[in-house]
Amino acid sequence: MNSRKINLRKEFAGFGFVLPVLIFLLLFITYPIFSNIILSFTDRNNQFVGLQNFRAVFADDTAVFSMYNSLIYVGFSVIGQLIVGTWAGILLNQEFRGKGIARSTILIPWVIPGAVAATTWAWMYHSDYGIISHIFMELGILADRGPLVIPHLVMPALILVNVWKMFPFVAVMVLAGLKGIEQSLFEAADVDGASLLQKLFYITIPQLRPILTTLILLLTIWGFNSITLIYTMTGGGPANLSMILPIHIFQQTFQYYNLHKAAAESIILFFILLIIIVMYMKTLTEKEN
Amino acid sequence: MKIKLSLLVVMLILATGLIWAAGAGERAEPAERQGVTEITWWFGNWNEPRGTELARKFEAENPGYRVKVEPFVGDGMETKMLVAFRTGSVPDVLAVPNGWTIPFAMQGYLSKVDDYFTRPGYPADDFIQAALDTATLDGAIYGVPYRMESHGFIYNKDLFRQAGLDPESPPKDWDELLSFAQKLTDPAKRQFGYAITGGGERQNTIFLVLPMIWMNGGDVISADGTRSTINEPAAVEAVRRYTEYFTKFKVSPPSTLENDGTGIRRLFEQNANAMMQQGSYALPNIYEAGIDVGTSLIPAPKGKDPAVIIGGWNYTVPEGAKNREAAYKFLDFLTETENMAFFTDTFPARYSSLEAERFQDPILEPFKEMLPFARMQPTLTEWPEMVNIIFTEIQQILLGTKDVQKAMDDAASKIDALL
Repeated sequence: MNSRKINLRKEFAGFGFVLPVLIFLLLFITYPIFSNIILSFTDRNNQFVGLQNFRAVFADDTAVFSMYNSLIYVGFSVIGQLIVGTWAGILLNQEFRGKGIARSTILIPWVIPGAVAATTWAWMYHSDYGIISHIFMELGILADRGPLVIPHLVMPALILVNVWKMFPFVAVMVLAGLKGIEQSLFEAADVDGASLLQKLFYITIPQLRPILTTLILLLTIWGFNSITLIYTMTGGGPANLSMILPIHIFQQTFQYYNLHKAAAESIILFFILLIIIVMYMKTLTEKEN
Repeated sequence: MKIKLSLLVVMLILATGLIWAAGAGERAEPAERQGVTEITWWFGNWNEPRGTELARKFEAENPGYRVKVEPFVGDGMETKMLVAFRTGSVPDVLAVPNGWTIPFAMQGYLSKVDDYFTRPGYPADDFIQAALDTATLDGAIYGVPYRMESHGFIYNKDLFRQAGLDPESPPKDWDELLSFAQKLTDPAKRQFGYAITGGGERQNTIFLVLPMIWMNGGDVISADGTRSTINEPAAVEAVRRYTEYFTKFKVSPPSTLENDGTGIRRLFEQNANAMMQQGSYALPNIYEAGIDVGTSLIPAPKGKDPAVIIGGWNYTVPEGAKNREAAYKFLDFLTETENMAFFTDTFPARYSSLEAERFQDPILEPFKEMLPFARMQPTLTEWPEMVNIIFTEIQQILLGTKDVQKAMDDAASKIDALL
C-alpha cells in the first residue's frame, strides 16, 4: 500500500463527510437563489425580458415607498435597540438585590413569539380598547384615534415595538461582553479619579466595540428580512403607510401571483442589504487602520 | 450566574418548542389500513366539530371508506390552497369560498363536475341557481354549492329605544340611515350609530362598499370589461356616502380604520355601535351578549333596490385529485338535504335543505329576502389585486389624505392598467 492510495482514500472519506452538507446547501440555498435570479429576468412564458421586471418595480409607487420605509424602519430600530440594549446590559451588570430575576425577566420580550407580541401590541394601540391609546387620550396627547391609524405615528409606533422586541438580545450580548472587560482597567481609572461617564465612554464602550459591531450587522440583516411584527399589526397599512419591502414581496408573490416582479424585488432587497453591509465593513476597516 | 442565565434561556426556548410540538402532535393520524379507500377532505376549522361528526357518520354508513378530515384556518387559507394546487398534493374534496371558485377554475386548478349533476335521477333542480352560478364558467360547473349567504342589516333595539326611535321600524333608505345614525351617536358614551369597516381583512370592506356602488347604479368595471367605471359619478357618490359616515358625520367608531367585519361585530356586542351590515353568522354571539337585536333589509337609496354580494362556499374536486369516484360518493353524502342543512353556518344551497327547522327563525327572514338581490363579485384573476387597490384608496379617504374624487380617479387608472 503506497502513500498515494492512503491519501486518496483519505480525500474520499473527507468528501463523504462534506457531501451531506454540500447537497443540503445546493438544494436549499444555491438552487433557490439561482431560480430567483432567473425568475427576475424572465416573464410568465419563461422568455428573457432583460430589466423589464426591475423597471416594473421602480414604476410601482408602493414598491419604491416600501424601500424607503424599510430603510427608516431598520435604521431607527437598530439605533433604538442598541441604545436601550446597551443601557440595559450595563445596568444589569451592576450588583444589586434581585439582579437574577431582573436578568431573566428582561428576556421575556425576546422569547415571546413574534406574532403573539404583535397581536398584543396591536390591541394595546387599538383606538377603542387599547390601554396605551386610552392613557394618551386621557392625557390629551391623542384625540380619539390610536397611533396605528394616524399617518405620522404609524411607523414610530411600529419601531417602538421592534425596539422592545429585540433590545433584550442586545442586552444579553452586552452583558456577556462586559464580563470580558479587564477589571484592572476600571481600577486604574478609579485611581486616576475618572467619573462614571468617563469610564463609560473611554473604557466600557470601546471595549464592547467588537460585540456592538457584530450586533449592528445582525440587527440590520434581521430587520430588513423581518415581516412578522408589521404584517401582524398593520399588514402594511393603513393605505400602505407602513408597507415595507418584505411585505410587498409577500403580497406580490402569494396574493397577486406576480412571481417575476416579486423576484426582482427580492434581488433589490438583497442588493440594498449588500451595499449597506459593504459600506459598513469598509468604514470599519478604514477606522481600524 | 452566567450558567444560570443561559440555562434559563435554553429552557424557555425548549418550552416554546414543546408547545409547538404539542400542537403538531394532535394531527397525528393512524397508519393507513389495507383495503380501505381514503378520502381527504379540507374545510374551514370553524366547522371542525360538525365536519368530524359528518365524516364519522359517513364511515359508519360506508364500510371500506375512511375520511381524513383536514381543517384549515381562515387566515392564509388562500395561500394554502394555491400551494396545494401548484405542488399537486391536493385533497379529494376541497371547500372553496364561492368568490374564488371561478378564478381557480380559470387557472385550471379545479376539475369539471358537470357529470355529477347530470347523473340520472340526481335532483340537480333542487340547487339554488344563484349558488350554482358562482361555480359556473363558460357553461361548465366546477363546484357543488353547500352554503350561501348574504349580508343583512342588524341593529340594537335597546339603543333605538334609548334614542327615542321606534325599534320596530329600522331605516329604509340612505337618508334615514344617516339621520338614525346621528341620533344613535353619543361620543361621550363611546356609542356610535353606524359602524363601517376600513381595516383588517380587505374583502370585508369590499362587501360593504361594492353593494353601495351597485345600489346607486354604478360599478367597478364597465359592462364590456375594458375600463374601470369606479370614478364615474354613481360610484363616487356611493363611496362618498360610505366614507362620510366616518370622516364627516363621525357616526362610525374612531377605530374604523382598524376594524374589519370581526371588529365591528365585537363592538356591536358591547353596545358600542347601534347598527351594522353583516351576515347572519353574527347573530349567535350577539344573542350571547344579551343584546335585543333586530334585523332588516339593507337600506338602499330612496326608490331603488338594495344590493348585496353573494357569499358562500362550494365543494370542489381539485385537478389531480386521486380518487374521483370516492369523492363523488362522499359529496353525495355531504350534500344530502339533511347533512347540508346541518353543516352550513348560514344558509344551505338547496331548497329542500332550506326547509329545515333551524332556518325558520323570523330573525333570519331579512337575510333570506336579501338573497334575490345578491350579486357576484367580478370574476377576474386580477380581482384580488383590484380589491387591494380599492381598499387602499378608501383608507386614504378615511385617513383624510385624499379626497373622494381623486382617490377614485387613482383607483380607476390603476385598475385600467390591470385590464
